[in-house]
Formats: sequence, structure tokens, C-alpha cells
Amino acid sequence: MNETFAVLGLFDSAQALMEAVPKVKAMNLGRLEAYTPYPVHGLDRALDQRRSPLAGMVMVMGVLGALTALLFQYWISAVDYPIVTGGKAPSSWQAFVPIMFEVMVLFATFTAGLGMLLLLNRLPYFGHPVLQSKAIRGITRDRFALAVEAGEGFDPEAARTALEAAGARDIEFVPAPPRGPWLTAAFIQRSLAGIAVVCLVSGLVMYGAVKFIPVLPPMVHMEDQPRLDPQAESAFFPDGRGMRMPVAGTVARGFLPPGFTTEDEAARLVNPLPRTPAVLARGRAEYEIRCAVCHGVLGNGIPTLSAAYGAKPANLQAPGFRAYSDGRIYGAIVLGKNAMPSYAADLPEDARWAVVHYVRALQRAQNAKDEDLK
Amino acid sequence: MNSDRTAKMLWSATALGGAAAGASYFVAGAPRFWANWVVWFLFLLTLALGALFLVALEHLVSARWSVPLRRIPERLASLLIPLCAVGLAALGSLQALFPGARPAAAADPLIAGKAAWLGAPFFSARVALCAALGLLPLAVLLRGSLRQDRDRDPRFTIRARRFAPVCMGIFALLVTQAAFDWIGGLTPAWYSDVIGVYLFAGAFMAGLAACVLAVVYLKGRERLPAIRFDHVYNLGAFLFAFTVFWAYIAFAQYMLMWYGNLPDEVLWYQAHTGGAWLGVALLLALLHFFVPFFALVPWDAKGDLKRLRWVAVVVLAAHWLDLYWLVFPALGGPLFSWPELGFALFFGGGTLLWVRGAMERGEDMPVGDPFLREGLEFRL
Repeated sequence: MNETFAVLGLFDSAQALMEAVPKVKAMNLGRLEAYTPYPVHGLDRALDQRRSPLAGMVMVMGVLGALTALLFQYWISAVDYPIVTGGKAPSSWQAFVPIMFEVMVLFATFTAGLGMLLLLNRLPYFGHPVLQSKAIRGITRDRFALAVEAGEGFDPEAARTALEAAGARDIEFVPAPPRGPWLTAAFIQRSLAGIAVVCLVSGLVMYGAVKFIPVLPPMVHMEDQPRLDPQAESAFFPDGRGMRMPVAGTVARGFLPPGFTTEDEAARLVNPLPRTPAVLARGRAEYEIRCAVCHGVLGNGIPTLSAAYGAKPANLQAPGFRAYSDGRIYGAIVLGKNAMPSYAADLPEDARWAVVHYVRALQRAQNAKDEDLK
Repeated sequence: MNSDRTAKMLWSATALGGAAAGASYFVAGAPRFWANWVVWFLFLLTLALGALFLVALEHLVSARWSVPLRRIPERLASLLIPLCAVGLAALGSLQALFPGARPAAAADPLIAGKAAWLGAPFFSARVALCAALGLLPLAVLLRGSLRQDRDRDPRFTIRARRFAPVCMGIFALLVTQAAFDWIGGLTPAWYSDVIGVYLFAGAFMAGLAACVLAVVYLKGRERLPAIRFDHVYNLGAFLFAFTVFWAYIAFAQYMLMWYGNLPDEVLWYQAHTGGAWLGVALLLALLHFFVPFFALVPWDAKGDLKRLRWVAVVVLAAHWLDLYWLVFPALGGPLFSWPELGFALFFGGGTLLWVRGAMERGEDMPVGDPFLREGLEFRL
């Protein structure tokens, strides 16, 4: 038989275990350890174990988490990209508190869980000798074990006697394992650290390769397209322009050059559009956009925009303008009149004629005769 | 100090405080007198209800650990008997403090729709109903528990378990009525759903803190030798948990109202955190949350009566400050001088006299409870 790792005494209740601990401790046979199916309060003190540093670690990390969240949010919301949300100042601490709370809990629970398992308990430890014992099935269910671990000058028989005297129901000798386990906490910690280092190094190498050695063009998704933007330069054409000039004599739809150069010539033209509600509606829309600013909504020369510049807009309701033919009004739109510029570039042909209809309608509305009311 | 001298001191403190409190009605004015009255009524009511909650909780969930301690919250809950009179007397404050009970309320467009609810007749009816409801758990749970001391009949335990859900309903109703009527009624245009939960958190903390002080009192007289670290630890853990719960509810209410920025919600906070009240509010956060929280964070602090004793005193002071902060802004800026001290002497002395008397009624533990042995053997 191999050397003994420990002698296990098995008890039926946590209380029996707690009562046995001081009795066995007094015999001073070796290091004591307990194995229980659930945490037994006060057992760590009874076994004289040093106070766990976990509480302090959790406290520090929790406070650190809250402060991290506070600084991070303050930096994002008030320093790096200040933005007013819901009418609150960017640095409103009230809005930070829920996140601070959550991050505090996150840091604290991760510290508690990982610190307890990996750092302090050095788990996982699949090769622990007690796991090979016959008693382990009971220990994970309803039995409580007190182990006297072997050390210098260990006497297994003395340990058995002491445990039996303390009230142990069963005794088991746990042999020392032939070799240590390989899947230990230290192994896992080394592996995780190795993975982290590999990630960091390969990330830095990739960054440097892409940034400083232009071998591989980095994928830029849709930012770079083989397309000519308006007004942009292009080496493709000899003149260096990206946009092409239209063929000489090209005319845009609706913008035929007028066949006249003076208002008198235009006066002979006849309005080609019928007086339908749709035409009048279009005329009204264009009039109110282009003309009403100076001539007024009613065409009476009282502008919607107060004339900050000296010229006095024409009162289209004046008898002189009411006597204009349709063609003469059309001519004024195309050629401009006095301080008024040409609107030929803004209004296509049919829109100009629609405006003429609407001006006529305005004039008639402001100078209605009795029979119009019938 | 022998008990006769203590009793004499308590009686004289109560009498002195009563004289000062009475004089404040004529010198400092009716609103301040009634504000003090309402604060102390709510303080003692929440303390008694918090203790009653602990009793009802034990019966509701068949808790074992608290069986040996149960006589303490039972005795504290008996404060509800004198509190019926204090609460009915507090109805005198309606005209002085509660805008909804004044005749002008019907003309105020903000509260005219609630006038029937806030008006003096229905307000008084609610208070009277709650007083009657508050006496019901005393009749069932306290009287039965004392009777069980003598006849050791487990029938009471069964009846208490059946009654516990009803008692919880009564408890919820009483706390909500206290919060919505006595606190919400001061500013009837303001509305908060959570004010009842807020008051509950403070009430349970006050009840637990009073229980801790009672354990200290009885242990100091060697009357609770069987109460161990494990029992005290649970009281401390409850107190610790509810400091966080109180802070959570208080901050949740504040943050939601601050974010929403609606006039019917945020004006209340402008009154309660404006000017000198900001200092009171910060002091409240310090005393009601930060000090007890950090004092009770270490594992063994929760079962250490030496530490719990001063934490309980801080918690009770903070709970008084909480109610002061809820009620007194109705009068304007923070007022603290001899009328407040007089009221503290009067109600504090009177409460100690009542509780001292209650501590002599019945056994110190519910000796007839069939689960007492399990409770005594309780380990964490």
C-alpha cells in the first residue's frame, strides 16, 4: 500500500463535525481539513484557517467597478462627446448611478466567483486524493468528513483513534496519489495567460502590418468604390474632369429657349394651358414660392418679406398690369423686368403659363364684378 | 441604577417633554405642533408595524430562527394600542397641515377632483378603520402567543399561520394608508406610486433596529441567555439587506422623477432638496444608507451586538430624520429647536415607559411554541 495522504473521519451532521474539530485539534496529529456537502458557517474558524481575503477583494473591486463606471460615463458623456439628453446636463450624476451599480455588481461577483474558485481554492483540481476515496459520494450528499492530513512523523493509527474518540461513524485511509494531476488551477491560469499574450501579440503584429507595411490593402467595405462623384476630378478623361460637357445644342426638357427677346414680341403669345383646377393649383404653388415674396400673396405689391432692399415691387392689381396680355406677363417672367431677375431657369415652360393663369385669377378675385357673385 | 429611579427619570422626561410640546402649540404655532405630532406618530407607527411584520413573516413562512426572539417584536408591536389614540388625535392636524382637508380645496383645480378622498370626513374614516384593523393582529397574534405561554397548546401556532396572510394584507394596507394619507396628503398635487414601499423599507428597518436594542436591553439583564450569535446575525443581516432596499427605493423614486421632470412630480423634490433641505437630504442618505451599510458589511459585524447597538441607534435616528424630511418641508425651511426636542422627550419617554412595561408581560421567549427548541438550536 502507498503512503497515506490523510485519514478521513465521517460524521452524520454538521454539528457532530463541529463538535469533533476541537477534540481532534487538541491531539495535534497533523493539518486538519474538512469536506462538507454545503458551506458550514464557522467551520473555517474552528479549523484555525486564516481569514479569507475574499471579502476585502470583493469590496475593493466593487468600489473600483463603481468608480470605473462613473469615470467612464463622465468621460463619454461630458468630456469626449458632450451631449444633452432629455434636457439634462451632460454630466448629470443621477443618470450614471444605475450603470455604476451594475458595473459594481459585475466586478464584485466576478471577483467573488473567479477569485474563490481559481485564486483561493485553486480549482479545478481533479486529481485531489480525497476525490478517489470511497467516502466522496457520501460527502457530496449528506456526510461530513474531517481529514487529518499526513505530515512529518504521521501516525495513521493515532489519527484513527482520535477521530473515533471524537465520534466519527466511519474511518477511511486515503492513499497518496502516485503522481500529481495535470489539469490544475495553475495549469488553467498559465493557459489563459498564454492565450491572452498570444492574442495581444498577434493583434499588435496585425495592426503594425496593416498600418506600416502596405502589403495587404485592408478591407474597407463600402468606403472605397470605383465611382465618379459629381464635380470630382478624374484622370480617365484628357481634360481631367469627371463630369462631361453636354453635346452642343442640348436643351433640357421644359426649358426650350424662348422665341422672343423683348416683352413686345412676347405679348403676342397665347396661353396654351387650359384653366383647370389642377393648373391653377400648380400656378398658385409656384406663385407662392417664387412671386409672393415680393408681389404679395394677393399680388397687390405688399410683400410677405419686408423689402429690406430699396426697390418697390410692382402692384399686379394696378390697372396697367391688369391690362397686360397673358403673353406680356409670360415675357416678364422669362426676361425679368426692372429689378426683377429672369425666372426662366427656375420655372419650366408649363409652370410659367400656370403662374400666368393664377395671376389672372388673383386680378379677377380682387376686382370682382357683380355678375361674378351670381 | 435601580429600576425605580429609571422609571422616575422616564416619567419626568415625559412630563417635561409634554409640557414643552404643549407650550409649542401656543408659542410656535399649530402647524409646527401638528407637524411634530405627525412625525412622531408615523415614527412609532412604522416602528410598531415593522415589528409586527417580523412576527407575521415568521408565521407566514414558518421561520424557525426567529421563534426564540419573537416575544420582542410582539412586545414592540403592542405599541399599536396607544398609537390608535395618537393617530386619532393626529386628525387635529387636518386643517393646519393638509390642504386637501381645507374648504379651499374644492376651488383648487389641481386637487378639486380628489377633494372627496382628501376631505376631512373620509380621511378620518380611513384613519379610524386602520386603527381598528391594526388592533386585529394584536388580538390574534399577541394575545394568542401570551396564552400559549400558559397552556402550551399548539393550536395557536396553527391559527397564527392561517392568520399570517391576512395580517400581511392588513400590514400592507396600514403602511400604504400611512404613506399616502399622512405623507402624500401634505402635498396632494404630488403623486408617487412608490412612497408606500419607501415607507415600508424604513418601517422594517426601524422595527429591526428596535428589536436589536431590545435584545441588548434583555441580554444586559441576563434574560436571554439562549440567544446566540446565529440569531443576532439574522437580525443584522435583515437590517443590512434593508439599508440597501431603502436606498434602492429612495433613489429609484428620485431618479425617475428627476428624469421625467414632470411638474406634478418634480416640484416636490424642489421643495425637499432646495436650500437648507439639501443638507438634510444628504445627511439622510449618509445616516440611512452609507453609515449602516458600511458598518454592517463585514461578516461578523452582523452578529456583533456591540456594533449592532450603535448601528440600531443610527438607523432609528435616520428614520426619524427621514420622516422629518418628508413632513417638515410643508412648513417651509428646516425648523429644529426646543419644540422638536420637547416632542422627542415626550414621545421617546412615553414609548420607553410603554415598552418597559411590555417587557415584563409574559415570558421572555414564547415557551409554549412547539418550534422553540428548533429555533434555539438554529445555526447559520
